[in-house]
Amino acid sequence: MTQERASEEKPYRRLETQALLQQIAFRHGLEAMEASENGSLAWVTSGFPVEIPIAMNLGVVYPEQAGAIIGAQKIGPAVSGYAEDLGYSQELCSYARVSIGSTEKPDEVPMGSLPTPQILLAGNNICGTVLKWYDAISEMTGAPVFLLDTPPIEKQQLPHNQEYVRHGVERLIEFIGSNFNRTLEEDRLREVAELSSRATKLWIRALEACKNKPSPLNCADRFLTMAPVVSSRGTEHCVEFYESLVAEVEERAKQGIGAIRDEKIRLLWDNIPPWHTLRFFNILASRGVVFPADTYTHAWTGNMVGTDTPSIIDEVVETYSKVYLNMGLDAKVDKMCQLIDDYDLDGFVMFSVRSCKRYSLGQLVSKEIVTERTGVPGVIIEGDMVDSRVYNAAQIETRVDALLEMLM
Amino acid sequence: MNYEGVIEQSSVGLKELVESGEEIIGYIYPHVPLELFMAHGFTPSLVRALPGTSSGFEESLQTFACSYIRNLYSQRANGQLLPLAGLLFPGNTCDALQNLGDIWRVRFPDDRVFRLTYPVTRYSQDESTTKFLAEELRILSETIANTFNRPFLTESYDRAIELVQDFHASAQFLYSARVVNPKIIPYSEVVRLIRTFLTAPTISSVSNIKDTAARVRVTSEDLGLVDMIETVRLAITSGDYSGVKLPEDLETPRVVIAGGMVEPQAIATLINDIPDISDSAIVLDLLSFGFKTAFTEAPSKSSDPYLAMAQSVLTAPGEPTHEGLSYRMKAMKDLLSNLSIQGLMVCEQSFCDPDQFEAPSIERAASELGVKTVRVPLDPELSDRGRIETRIQTFLDTLE
Amino acid sequence: MDMGVGIDVGSTTTKGVLLDSSGNILARSLMTTGASAIQAVEKTLRNISSSSNIDLNDIPVISTGYGRARVELAEKSMTEITCHSVGVHHINPDIRLLIDVGGQDAKAIRIGPSGRPEDFELNDKCSAGTGRFLEVMARVLEVSLDDLGPLALQSKTPSSISSTCTVFAESEVIGHIGAGESAADIAAGVHVSMVSKISALSKRVGVQEPVCATGGVALNPAFRHHLSNQLGVELWIPEDPQLTGALGAAVIALEKKGKKN
Repeated sequence: MTQERASEEKPYRRLETQALLQQIAFRHGLEAMEASENGSLAWVTSGFPVEIPIAMNLGVVYPEQAGAIIGAQKIGPAVSGYAEDLGYSQELCSYARVSIGSTEKPDEVPMGSLPTPQILLAGNNICGTVLKWYDAISEMTGAPVFLLDTPPIEKQQLPHNQEYVRHGVERLIEFIGSNFNRTLEEDRLREVAELSSRATKLWIRALEACKNKPSPLNCADRFLTMAPVVSSRGTEHCVEFYESLVAEVEERAKQGIGAIRDEKIRLLWDNIPPWHTLRFFNILASRGVVFPADTYTHAWTGNMVGTDTPSIIDEVVETYSKVYLNMGLDAKVDKMCQLIDDYDLDGFVMFSVRSCKRYSLGQLVSKEIVTERTGVPGVIIEGDMVDSRVYNAAQIETRVDALLEMLM
Repeated sequence: MNYEGVIEQSSVGLKELVESGEEIIGYIYPHVPLELFMAHGFTPSLVRALPGTSSGFEESLQTFACSYIRNLYSQRANGQLLPLAGLLFPGNTCDALQNLGDIWRVRFPDDRVFRLTYPVTRYSQDESTTKFLAEELRILSETIANTFNRPFLTESYDRAIELVQDFHASAQFLYSARVVNPKIIPYSEVVRLIRTFLTAPTISSVSNIKDTAARVRVTSEDLGLVDMIETVRLAITSGDYSGVKLPEDLETPRVVIAGGMVEPQAIATLINDIPDISDSAIVLDLLSFGFKTAFTEAPSKSSDPYLAMAQSVLTAPGEPTHEGLSYRMKAMKDLLSNLSIQGLMVCEQSFCDPDQFEAPSIERAASELGVKTVRVPLDPELSDRGRIETRIQTFLDTLE
Repeated sequence: MDMGVGIDVGSTTTKGVLLDSSGNILARSLMTTGASAIQAVEKTLRNISSSSNIDLNDIPVISTGYGRARVELAEKSMTEITCHSVGVHHINPDIRLLIDVGGQDAKAIRIGPSGRPEDFELNDKCSAGTGRFLEVMARVLEVSLDDLGPLALQSKTPSSISSTCTVFAESEVIGHIGAGESAADIAAGVHVSMVSKISALSKRVGVQEPVCATGGVALNPAFRHHLSNQLGVELWIPEDPQLTGALGAAVIALEKKGKKN
C-alpha cells in the first residue's frame, strides 16, 4: 500500500505497456543473436527499408537504438572513449562512436553491444554520416556495406530521382540475394509490408491520441515505446505491441487521464533526446510541463501501404525518400508548425545535438521561423544524445526556466 | 609572404574580372562542371574559406558546424564575398553543406542559390549514377538559362572544354613531375597555379599553368625524366603502378598530404615557414582542391554534353563522402607503396565529418605499410598555428 | 671540454640547461616567461652564465618550446617533443612512453631506442587535459594551485565530473560546491577528469612501460596518482621534471658540436 501511494505521488504515470517492451526487447535480442550465429544478421539504419531484408529472412538490429541504450545506461563517455582511443574524434556522431567503441570492446558493454553483423545496410535519408559509420564497422567486422542512396529532395521527388532510387532498391535485392544466395518472394514482401504498415498505423494512432488534453503520453513515454516500430516493424509481435499500446493510450484519453498528473503547459520537443538524462522530462513534469509531440518519434510515421498497391518497390522508393529529414529545412519547419497547431502546443524546446549535424544545423534559423509562423516561443538547449560530457545541466535548466517564465 | 597575403593575391584576378563586367557564379564543392557555367557565358569561381574571417556565423550556425562552412557563412554575413550572379551549393555530399544551402536561402533571400545534387559515387560505377547526375546537370542548365535568359551555347561549351582539358593536362603533368623529382618545381607554386585557375578559369590562368608545365617539361627533358613522369601520370589515373620506376637516388623524406577540403596553400605555407624545412618534402597531396581536382578527367566534346560532364565529374578520385572506403584505402596504399612514401600527414578540419571519420582508417592503412602518420587538425583561420607547426616539425624530424 | 646550452621557452616558464660532454649539468635556470619571451631568454642565459661562471660565447645553443623561434642566437630550433624525448632518454634510456603536461599542452610521446620520438600525440587547442584546466578549477575551489593536488589526495570518493571541457567542467564544479560536496572530493574529481584526457592521448601512441611523466604538472601528486591508476602502470618521474626539454635541447646542441668537430 505504502508503495502504491508513493508512486501515486510521482508527477508522471507509468505505462502498463512498458512491461511488454522488455519482453519484446529480450526476444529481439535473442533473435538477433541467433541470426548472427546462423550468418544472416543485418545492421540497419533507422530510415532503411527494413521490409526488404526482413522479407529475405535476415535478422535485423539497429545500432542507433543500441546507442540509445548505451546512453541511457550513462556509459556513453566510457564506450565512446574506446572509439576515441582508435582515433575517432570526439566531434563525430556519438551514436557512431559508441557503436564503434562497443564493437571494439563488446565485453565491456554487456547491454548495447550488438551481435556480429554479416551485412551492413545503410540509408542516407536520415544523414550522410551513416555511410561513414558503417564503413568503419565494416573495417572492423569484415561485413560488406550496402548504401541505399536517396539524394535529398526539394518539395517533390523528380522522375530521375525516383528512377535512381528504384534502381538502388533493385540493387539492394540483388546484393542481399548474391551475398546470402536467396531471392525475394513477392508474397513474403507483401506480407511483411502489410505488417509494417499496420504497426506504423497503430503507432500514428498512439501519437495522435496525444492531441487530447491532458496528453496521455509524455516525451519519454514515446521515446521508449517507439523502439519496436524502429526495430521490429514488419513482424507480428510488433503489431501486437502497438495494439496494446493503442488500447491503453486511448483508454487514458477517454478517461481524461494524462501522462503527467497536473498538465499546465504543452511543449514540442525537437531532435533526439538526451538518453543519459531522460529525467529531464520528469523534472519538468513535476512543474506541470508535458510534451505531447516531438519531431523525433514522428519521423517514424512513414506509412507503407500494404497489399493494395501495384508495386511495393515504388512504395518503398517513395516512402523512404520522403522522410522529412531528407527534404530540407522547409519540410522540418512545416512539420514543427503543423505539430504545434495540431497538438495545440504553447511553445517548443529544441535540443541542439552537438554530434548530430544533419538534425541540428539549421535550428537557429528554424526557431525564428517557427515562432514567426505560429506565434509561440521556443528555446534552444545544447548538449548531446549520448555523450554526457558535453551536456551542461545547469545551463540547460536556466534556459528552460526562462521559457517557462514566458509562458506562466 | 604570409598566408593571408598568399591567399589574397590569388583573388586579384577575380576582382579584375568582376570590375570588367564579367559575371561570376560561385561554387563551393570542388567537383562541378566548369564547362556548364562557361557554356552559359558565366565565369565559375571557387568560393573558399579565407584565413582572416573571424565571426559572423553565430546568428545562424552552431559552433559545431564545420570550420569550413562557418567561414563561408561569415564571409557572406560580413559582406566579404564579391558580388556573384549566383551561388551553387552541392547536395548529398555532406550533411553540413547540405544544411548550409538551406540556411543560406533563408538568410540571404536575394542571393540566387542553385543546388546540384550528387549521387553517392561508387567504385563500381554503374549507369544509374551517371544518368542521375546528367539529368541534374540538364535541370541546372535549364534553370540557369531561364533565370538569366542565357542559353547554353555549344560553341562556348566547346571552347570551355579546350581550356579545361589544357588545365588538367598541365596540372597532371606538374603533379607527376614532382613525384619523380619534388625539387623540379615548388609544391606551393603548383597549388598556387591550381588555385588561380579555380578562382577564375580564364585563358590567362590556363596559359599560366600551361607555360609553367612547358618549362618544367623542358627541364625534365634535360634531366631525362619525361618518360618516367608519363608512367607516373598513367599509373595514378589508371591505378596500375606496374609500369612505374622512380629514380634510385630519391631524396628523403617523401611525404604525402591526405585530407579533404583543406587549403593546399595553407599547408604549403605552414611547411615553408618552418625553419630549415622546405616543401620539397611534399611529394604529393590527395586534397580536394589539389590532387582530386587535377586528376579528374576533363570532359570530351560530345553530342550529349550533360552526359559527358556527368562522366567527367564522376571520375574525380574518391571523396570520403563516397561509397567504398576499402577501395579508397587500397588505392591510397598502392600509391604510397609504389611512390616510395615514408610519411603521411593526415589533415582534418575541425567538425568535418568526412575528414574525421576517414582519418583513423588512413592511419591504419598507412601503418600496415610502415608509413608514418601525423594528424593535423586545421581550421581555415589556422587558429592553433603554434601547435600545428610543432606537430609538423616533429613529424618531419621523426622521418629523418 | 665541449658544452651545449638548451633553452626551453614554454608558455608559462622558460628553462635553461648547460651541459658538458660527460653529461653533467653545469647550470640550470627556471623562471616565468612573462610578457616578453626575448627578455626571458636573455635572463636565462645570464643566469646560466653567472651560476656556472662560464662565458657562453661559442657554446652552441638549441632552442625549443613555443617561443623557440624567439631565441635568435640559437643554432637551430627543435620542437619540445623531440627535446623532451632526448632529455628523458639522457637520464633514463629505458623509458618508452613519455607524458609531458605543461601549462597549455599535454603530449604523449613514444620514445624509440635511439631516444628520438617514434610517435606522438598532442592535445588540440581545447585546454582539457592541461595545466590550465587545473588552474581554472583551483581558482573556482579557492585554493592555490600548489595545494590542489595534496587536497585531492585526501579524498576517498572523488566527485563525478563528466565534462572534460574546461568551461563545462567549471559549471559542474560550481554545481558540486552548491550541493555541499567536500572540496577534497571535488578536487579529486577534477584530477580524474583531467587525467582521462591524458590517458586517451597515451593510449593513442601505445602504453609501453616504463612510463615517465614530465612537465610542471608532473609535480602534482594527485595527478601522478590518478594517471598511474588509469594507465595501470608505475610512473617514473625525473628529479627536475620541468627541465627535461631544455636538457634534451642541450644534448642536441652537444651532438651538433660533436658532428662539426
